Amino acid sequence: MKRRSFLTATAAAGATLAAPRLSLAQNTRVLKFIPQANLSSLDAVAGTQYVVRNAAMMIWDTLYGVDDSITPKPQMCEGHTVNADFTEWTFKLRAGLKWHDGEKVTTRDVIPSLQRWMVRDTMGQLIKGRLDALEATDDLTFRFRLNKPFAKMLFALGKSNAPMALIMPERIAKTDPFQLIKEYVGSGPMKFKTDEWVPGAKAVFTRFEEYAVRPEASSWSAGGKRMNFDRIEWVIIPDAATAAAALQNGEVDWWENPIADVVPLLKRNRNLNVDIGDPLGNIGSFRMNHLNPPFDKVGVRRAVMMALSQTDYMEAVAGDDPALWKVCPSYFTPGSALYTEVGGDLLKGPRNFDAAKKLLAESGYAGEVIELVVPVDVPITKAEGDVTADLLKKLGMNVHYNATDWGTTGTIRAKKDPVSKGGWNIFHTWHAGADCINPAPYTALDCSGETAWFGWPKSQKVQDAIAQWYAAPDLAAEKKAAEAINIASFENVTYIPTGFFVQYTSWRKNVSGVVKAPFPVFWGVEKS
Amino acid sequence: MFSYILRRVLSTIPVMAVVALFVFSLLYIAPGDPASIIAGDQASPADVERIRMALGLDRPFLVRFFSWVWDVLNGDLGTSIFTNLPVTKMIGQRIQPTVSLMVITLVISLFTAIPLGVVAAWKQGSWIDRFAMIISTAGFSVPVFVVGYVLAYTFALDGFDLGIGWFPVQGYTPIEQGVWPWFLNLLLPSVALGLIYMALIARITRATMLEVLSQDYVRTARAKGAGQRSILFLHALKNAAVPIITVVGIGFATLIGGAVVTESVFAIPGLGRLTVDAILRRDYPIIQGVVLMFSFVYVLVNLGVDLLYTLFDPRIRY
Amino acid sequence: MSLSLKSGFTAAVTLPDVLPPRRERGRAMLFLYRHPTIAMGGLLLGLILCIAIFAPFLFTVDPTALAPAKRTRPPSQLYWFGTDMLGRDIYSRVLYGSRISLIVGFSVAAVSSVVGVAIGVCAGFIRLLDAVVMRVMDGLMSIPSILLAIAFMALIGASVQNVVIAISIAEIPRVARLVRGVVLSLREQPYVEAAIASGTSIPKIIWRHILPNTMAPIIVQATFICASAMLAEATLSFIGAGTPPTIPSWGNIMAEGRALWQVKPFIVFFPAAFLSVTVLAVNLLGDGLRDALDPRLAKRI
Repeated sequence: MKRRSFLTATAAAGATLAAPRLSLAQNTRVLKFIPQANLSSLDAVAGTQYVVRNAAMMIWDTLYGVDDSITPKPQMCEGHTVNADFTEWTFKLRAGLKWHDGEKVTTRDVIPSLQRWMVRDTMGQLIKGRLDALEATDDLTFRFRLNKPFAKMLFALGKSNAPMALIMPERIAKTDPFQLIKEYVGSGPMKFKTDEWVPGAKAVFTRFEEYAVRPEASSWSAGGKRMNFDRIEWVIIPDAATAAAALQNGEVDWWENPIADVVPLLKRNRNLNVDIGDPLGNIGSFRMNHLNPPFDKVGVRRAVMMALSQTDYMEAVAGDDPALWKVCPSYFTPGSALYTEVGGDLLKGPRNFDAAKKLLAESGYAGEVIELVVPVDVPITKAEGDVTADLLKKLGMNVHYNATDWGTTGTIRAKKDPVSKGGWNIFHTWHAGADCINPAPYTALDCSGETAWFGWPKSQKVQDAIAQWYAAPDLAAEKKAAEAINIASFENVTYIPTGFFVQYTSWRKNVSGVVKAPFPVFWGVEKS
Repeated sequence: MFSYILRRVLSTIPVMAVVALFVFSLLYIAPGDPASIIAGDQASPADVERIRMALGLDRPFLVRFFSWVWDVLNGDLGTSIFTNLPVTKMIGQRIQPTVSLMVITLVISLFTAIPLGVVAAWKQGSWIDRFAMIISTAGFSVPVFVVGYVLAYTFALDGFDLGIGWFPVQGYTPIEQGVWPWFLNLLLPSVALGLIYMALIARITRATMLEVLSQDYVRTARAKGAGQRSILFLHALKNAAVPIITVVGIGFATLIGGAVVTESVFAIPGLGRLTVDAILRRDYPIIQGVVLMFSFVYVLVNLGVDLLYTLFDPRIRY
Repeated sequence: MSLSLKSGFTAAVTLPDVLPPRRERGRAMLFLYRHPTIAMGGLLLGLILCIAIFAPFLFTVDPTALAPAKRTRPPSQLYWFGTDMLGRDIYSRVLYGSRISLIVGFSVAAVSSVVGVAIGVCAGFIRLLDAVVMRVMDGLMSIPSILLAIAFMALIGASVQNVVIAISIAEIPRVARLVRGVVLSLREQPYVEAAIASGTSIPKIIWRHILPNTMAPIIVQATFICASAMLAEATLSFIGAGTPPTIPSWGNIMAEGRALWQVKPFIVFFPAAFLSVTVLAVNLLGDGLRDALDPRLAKRI
């Protein structure tokens, strides 16, 4: 049957034989984009994947947005008032906001959206912990009443890393925070074409005609999000070689994250622009399990750090191009306000294997097998894992290299069990520089032990320093707190930063308006 | 005749049952817990447990198996864990590219390999015979992805500056947007995928033709002055059809396996890529659905092949 | 029966005695002259085998030693085949990689032959088992082998041993079917019936009469399994479901270099060339053996 209907289709389509080959990609109202990874869901509240966040930001809007100076600006809100001790925040929505289905946006949608987000987000949980009431006073006005001050409210509402405080229609916002949403109606500048979505291959967004564009110029997630495309198509191409070829051949317009090694090829092509996409970059992470021996001993963690060469990691991850990476003896994003190298001496200078081996022996490493979990489907974690395996071998440690994929790593790393029962010792990842500018969005920094991020580091000293930052009244005090955090984190070896790296983005010359940002910004982009 | 067909059709039932049980139990014991993947980085064990119950992952094996089979028979392959979409819908979205790829591959392979095999047999020992056999042996020896990359480099990117970069390097154009772009888009992947298939068919064609050509009735045909072409393609090929069709059917599995790789090299949004993605993400319902479906198609194709025998060789009656 | 014609190819086979035991000077040379494909395939395979065995003495360095500062160097006097993304020496990796491909190829051929023969003989002799076992085999065979292997690898995790198991499972039914076909036809042979009538025990019959007669088609089949297993290993590694990435195998080297094939084609080229030549060698050997051991089979394919 299938074949027969197929044949009829062939016959019917026979009439349109001469359709030009690249007609769609050349249409100036359609943008074809290769995202960094497959888009498997659209819920940037229940999930924390960057690629999901990037798509969700087109469909949904936030109350506040963050501009390129990391300042929160009103987005769906007209503005706010707050009392002197930061315990009562009142917000007013802009009038005339509409959902993609034509309904009006009201506080009846906002309240459940925020409630769902507060369950999932670290900052949301901080707010929830001091919340007396979150209430609507009318259709457009709502208020937080807190029993303890919370000064960083606007950062929380405008944060651009997942879980984001995205505002969704009431019926969608009522979804269990631990279940993924199933309907994709928002109030953002693009609508999601559910019927054209082929997960793993293609996602299509179309322009929302009734979007209420703010009058200001756009900057990152703040300002007027003007869309110059009727249609944005995300084409998922996991094979980097094929993605490079597609861009060269003009079959797509923009590739979010070309791997470093093909960049010379793209740069040679006269039709392509290549530039650093996100100047805030990424910090590579060597994450140890603080519950399992031998890394429950701070001496062992420190011994590994003494021998670890960030240069090796960065060359393996980001390649030969010195513009793409630098050594980063810090837990904070290089170039950001709080960046400090105080306390990071162990990562500087020539590597000392003899001293490291000595410390390792003294600290009680008894030849345990190190369970190294390496997701081999992600080039960055694969490279980090390979370098680590080599490093530990040189230190005389026994390594079991557990090659898996990113999904399985997610399962394994959540286990607190000993290695013999399926637990782990080390995995690698990276943290977006945008998340490492201060402790608020920085889950990996937290040292609360059992409730901390995977690896469950525990250090009161780090926790005190983080509390000091939350309480900091001005930038000088924040900087002081950041230094204390850096020193305490290196002492504790919460994780080992493997260096700072940025990634290129590449687009066709006929596309203009691509800006540097921690996420691909589609508003303001044009094609001629 | 009718009872043969009936018996042959019925014999596919136990085979499919084995496949179903196998596919289901394989993934039942798979490591990796989809519940904790869905719950995300910051979920508590209680949340994970709740999701596990919601997915029905806590029920015993047989209960899960039979409820799954019941659903499958009702056309419900479950819901993807990662996208929340029905598996049947996801398969439906992907079926056109894969079917197109296979049909084009099949057509190209048959139309090149059979004449090649016939000519090689006819001119046994000549340079064309040797050439055909060398090419077909090479077809068995080079991995599909290497062939794919070389083809893309030569005929899409024009890497050797021959002025022949005629084809798109990746992707798929739905047939509704025109047969020509659709065909252009699939030609390189089809050739890459089809190489091993061509090799297989060319060899079996040559071998059977050699045998058939030595038979009495061919000699008779020659003696009565029938033309060379009519002997080859009318008399001989028809009699050589059964083994060729058999190999076409059996080789179909190679085609399915090759499609998995070809689709990822050429970024074709088909079922092969869906399978690889699903396995890497442990999306159980999709893996089950796709493997089951591919196996079903394979069984059907071979059923078709067996039934075709009776057309080509009326002597076959079981 | 679903078997119909497919098994018929081999079912009817009656084999001449394996090569006569008599040996004469020059006989081997004559044999090779008569079967040039065996000579060529054997020679090539022998060469690869030598490379695999003597890899440490062929001017190689540690194939797993990283040197990120010296990454993606093109072939030169220092790095004969260049270096990969982590600065490892591709020449050394390719040479050591031959071990993995050969181990996988030979092991899969051995495992699937032994298990396949066991299952096939049992099914052929024990009527009760036959129906059940062959339905299971049919079921396994209807799952395309690469899909089956990928699913298995996802299930049991990456290791060379698991690759062997995963590929073998897909091949076993093919061997089992072949053997069962031969056994069924042999059972009807007068000398087997005579042996049964004279009270010879079943195991002895199998050992004396059945097994020797299945050897020729099994050896031929095993060479082809060996070749396809090597390709399957490369394919699995290419997809990311094969040999653990710490082990240098041709598939892994290619999988790691695939993203760079436009910029640094040598990373993929060398292992691809070695793999193709090795598989070609085994295929040639298989073709030759088939011609030599079983002229009737030779006509078929």
